[in-house]
Amino acid sequence: MAKTKQEKQDLKAEKAYEKTHKPKWQLTPGNIVFNILNYAFYTIFTLSCIFPFYYLFINTISDNDLVRKGQVTLLPKGINVQNYIAMLNVSDLGNAFIVSIARTLLGTALMVAATALVGYLVTKQELWHRKFWYRFLVITMYFNAGTIPWYLNMSMLGLTNHFAAYIIPGIVAPYNIILVKTYIESIPAELEESALIDGAGFLTVFRRIIWPLSKPILATIAIFGAVGHWNSFTDSLILMQSAPSLYTLQHRLYIYLNQNSNIAQMMNAGGSGILPTMSTKVLKYTISMVTVIPILLVYPFMQRYFEKGIMLGAVKG
Amino acid sequence: MKEGKTKREVLADRVYYVQRIVAILAAALIFFPAASPSRICAMINKNLSLFTSGISYGSLTAEMGRAFNRGWLSEGTMALLCAASVVMLLGIAAAGAGGCMSLGNLKFKKLGNLFSLGGVAGQILGLVLIYVSYQQVLGSSSVDRVGPMFPGGYIVYLILAVLLLVSSIAIQFMLPKPEADSEYEMESRFKLFLIFLPFAALCFVFSYLPLWGWRYAFFDYSAGGTLSMDNFVGFKWFTSLFQSQATKADVVRVLRNTLAMSGLGIATSWCAMAFAIFLNEIKNIRFRRFVQTFTTIPNFISWVLVYAIAFAIFSTDGFVNTAAVQLGMLAEGATGTNYLMDASHIWLKMLFWGMWKGIGWSAIIYIAGISGIDQQLYEAATVDGAGRFAKMWHVTLPGLIPTYCVMLLMSVANILSNGMDQYMVFSNKVNMDTIQVLDLYVYTLGITNGNIPLSTVFGMVKSIISVILLFAANGISKAVRGESIV
Repeated sequence: MAKTKQEKQDLKAEKAYEKTHKPKWQLTPGNIVFNILNYAFYTIFTLSCIFPFYYLFINTISDNDLVRKGQVTLLPKGINVQNYIAMLNVSDLGNAFIVSIARTLLGTALMVAATALVGYLVTKQELWHRKFWYRFLVITMYFNAGTIPWYLNMSMLGLTNHFAAYIIPGIVAPYNIILVKTYIESIPAELEESALIDGAGFLTVFRRIIWPLSKPILATIAIFGAVGHWNSFTDSLILMQSAPSLYTLQHRLYIYLNQNSNIAQMMNAGGSGILPTMSTKVLKYTISMVTVIPILLVYPFMQRYFEKGIMLGAVKG
Repeated sequence: MKEGKTKREVLADRVYYVQRIVAILAAALIFFPAASPSRICAMINKNLSLFTSGISYGSLTAEMGRAFNRGWLSEGTMALLCAASVVMLLGIAAAGAGGCMSLGNLKFKKLGNLFSLGGVAGQILGLVLIYVSYQQVLGSSSVDRVGPMFPGGYIVYLILAVLLLVSSIAIQFMLPKPEADSEYEMESRFKLFLIFLPFAALCFVFSYLPLWGWRYAFFDYSAGGTLSMDNFVGFKWFTSLFQSQATKADVVRVLRNTLAMSGLGIATSWCAMAFAIFLNEIKNIRFRRFVQTFTTIPNFISWVLVYAIAFAIFSTDGFVNTAAVQLGMLAEGATGTNYLMDASHIWLKMLFWGMWKGIGWSAIIYIAGISGIDQQLYEAATVDGAGRFAKMWHVTLPGLIPTYCVMLLMSVANILSNGMDQYMVFSNKVNMDTIQVLDLYVYTLGITNGNIPLSTVFGMVKSIISVILLFAANGISKAVRGESIV
C-alpha cells in the first residue's frame, strides 16, 4: 500500500518516540504470561470488531443457495456480486441513499462554512457585545428542551416532512465553534494584522488568511459532521413521519431489519422479479453493507484527523 | 462624532429603539402560527405561520380540495391570500434590512429609513390584501362550512405596522441631510455584528425557541388542538406523575432502567482507561496501530448498523446458529435460538454493545494522556526499584486520573440522558420492560401515543435535573481540582 508523505512522517516520529519511551522490563515469567494474555486479549477484541463486517460481506457475495443452507461461516463460497446489482433496482433504497448523500454533503459543507465564519467572528474583540454573544452560543450545549418541544418547534417552523429539517438546524454547531475559535486564537496575530494594515477587509482576511490556515481543524469538524449526518436516524424517524421519500438510509435499514415477512418475495411480487434467489436474510445483510461501505471507505482518511480532533476537544475555549 | 449631534439626532436615536424593536418583533412573529395574520378561515391549518403561508401555497390550501371543488371558495381568494403573505414577508424583510442599516452613518441611516418606509408600505399593502380576501371568504356560498374568522395576528401586525410607520416618518424628519460627499460607512463592531446576526438568529430559533414549547406542559393539549384558558390545567400533569398509579409505575420502571444502565456505564467507565494502559504495554508499534485502527471503527457506525451486526451474528439464522449447526451442536434444519428476542440480562447486553462500540474510541484520549506523562517519572521509579506493574499502578494510572475524573463527572451529569438510538433499535415486545429508558419512553409517549403534555413534562424535568447535575459536577470539579469542566 502506498503511503503518503504525512503518514511516513507520522510513523517516523512515532518510532523516535518509541526509542525514548520504550518500556523496559525483564523477561520474568510473570511478564511473559502477562504479555501473552495481553496480546491474546487485544487480538480477540480487535477480531471481534472486524469479524462482523467480514461475515456480513462474505454472506452477501456468496452463492445465495449456500447461504440459505447455512454453509457460509468463515469463507465465501461461489463469489458473485448479483446481490449488489439487485440493490440498484430497489427504488426506495436508492432514494434513501440519495437523501443521505445529499444531507451529508450539503449539511456538512454549510456547517463547516458557518462554523469557520462564526468561529472567526467570536475571536474579534470589536464584535459588538462579543462576550455576551459567545456565551449565547455556547450555553446551548448544556440545556435541551426535550424531544417533544423540539418536535413541536420544528413542526411550528414548517420543517416537518421537509428536507431542510436535516440541514438548517445543524448549521450552527456550538461545540465545533469552540474548537475553531480555539484554533484560530493559536494562529499568530501578526499575519492578520499585516493584512489589515495592507487594507484588507474582514471578509478578505477571513478568506485569504484564516480559512486556509485553519484547514486542519475544519477537516476535523467536517469529518465528525459528515459521520453524524450519515449516521443520523432519529431526526428522520421523528420529523419525516408522513414523507417516506425523505427517509435516510439508516431509517430505511431500520425498517428493513424489523420486517419479518419475506421482503424479497414481496419485492418480487411487486417488481419485475429481479431478486429471484435472495432470502430475507441476505437482503438485510446486503442493505447493511450498502449502509456501512461509505463509512469504511472514508475511514482511512478520517483516522488521521480524529485523534487531533479529540485532543483539541479537551482544550476548552 | 457624538459631540456633533444635534438635539434632533439624539431624539432620533431614541425613536430608533422603537423602530428596531418593532422590526425584530415583526420578523420573529412570522414563525409563530398563533400570530399569523393569514388564517382567515377555519379551513386553514392552525399550525401555519405567516412564513409558511407565504412560501408554500400547497400547505396553505392543503385541506381545501373539497371547498374548491364545491365552489365554497375560489382558488383566486387563496392565491390572493398567498400573494398577500408574500408581500407582507417582503415588507418585513425590507424593514429588517432598514433596521440593520440604521447602525451605519448618517448616509446609511437615510437609506435604511427608505427601506423601512418601503417595508411598512409593503406590510400595509399585504394587510389590505388579506382583508380583501377575508371579505371574499365572508361572501362564500357556504359560510358555516368555511368558517371565516378574523385572526388575532392581524391586529398584532396592524399595530406593529402603525408603530413602524410613525417611527419611520418621525425619523425621516429628524435626520439632517447628509453631506453631499459622504460615503456609506459603518463602525466595524456593528459590521461584524450584522455578519454574526443570522447565525445568532439560527441558534435562537433551534436552541432557545423550543423552550417556548414547555408551555404545553400546563395545558390539556392533544395534537391539532389549541391552547386557551379553557384547557389550562396548571400543574395537573406534574402532580399526575405522583398520583396516577399507571404513570407512577411507568416512571419507576423507566427510571430504574435509565439509572441502571447509566450506572453500569459509569461503573465500567474505567475500562477505557485500562484498555489504554494495557495497550501501552504492547511493544510492537504495528500491532498497536492495528488494534487502535480497528477498535475505533465501531464508534463511527450508527446504532442501526450495530443492530444489523447483532442481527447477523445472533439472530435465528445468524452466525452463532450457523456455526452451531456446522459444529454439530444444533441439528441441521432445526430452528436456532434468536438471541435478540431473549429478554434476560438486557442491561448487561446493552452495556456490552455500548463497550464494543465505544471503548476503542474512549481509549484514545487516555492513550494521548499516557504519551504526555513525563518520562523522568518512569526513570525515577526504575531507580527506586519499581517493576513493570508497579510503574503502571504508581506512575501511569495517577497520570491519567485527572482526565478520568473529568470524564466521570461529565457522565454523572448525563446520567438521565443515555440517548434513545441504542435502546430503540434493540427494543422489541419481549424486552420492552427492561430496555425502555427515559428518552425512549418520552419518544413513545409523545410521538407514538400522542400524549404531548405529559411527555413535555418529562422533558422539562429531565432538562432541569440535568442542568443542576452539570453545575453540581462543575462545582465539585472546581472545589477539588480548581478547574471547571464546562
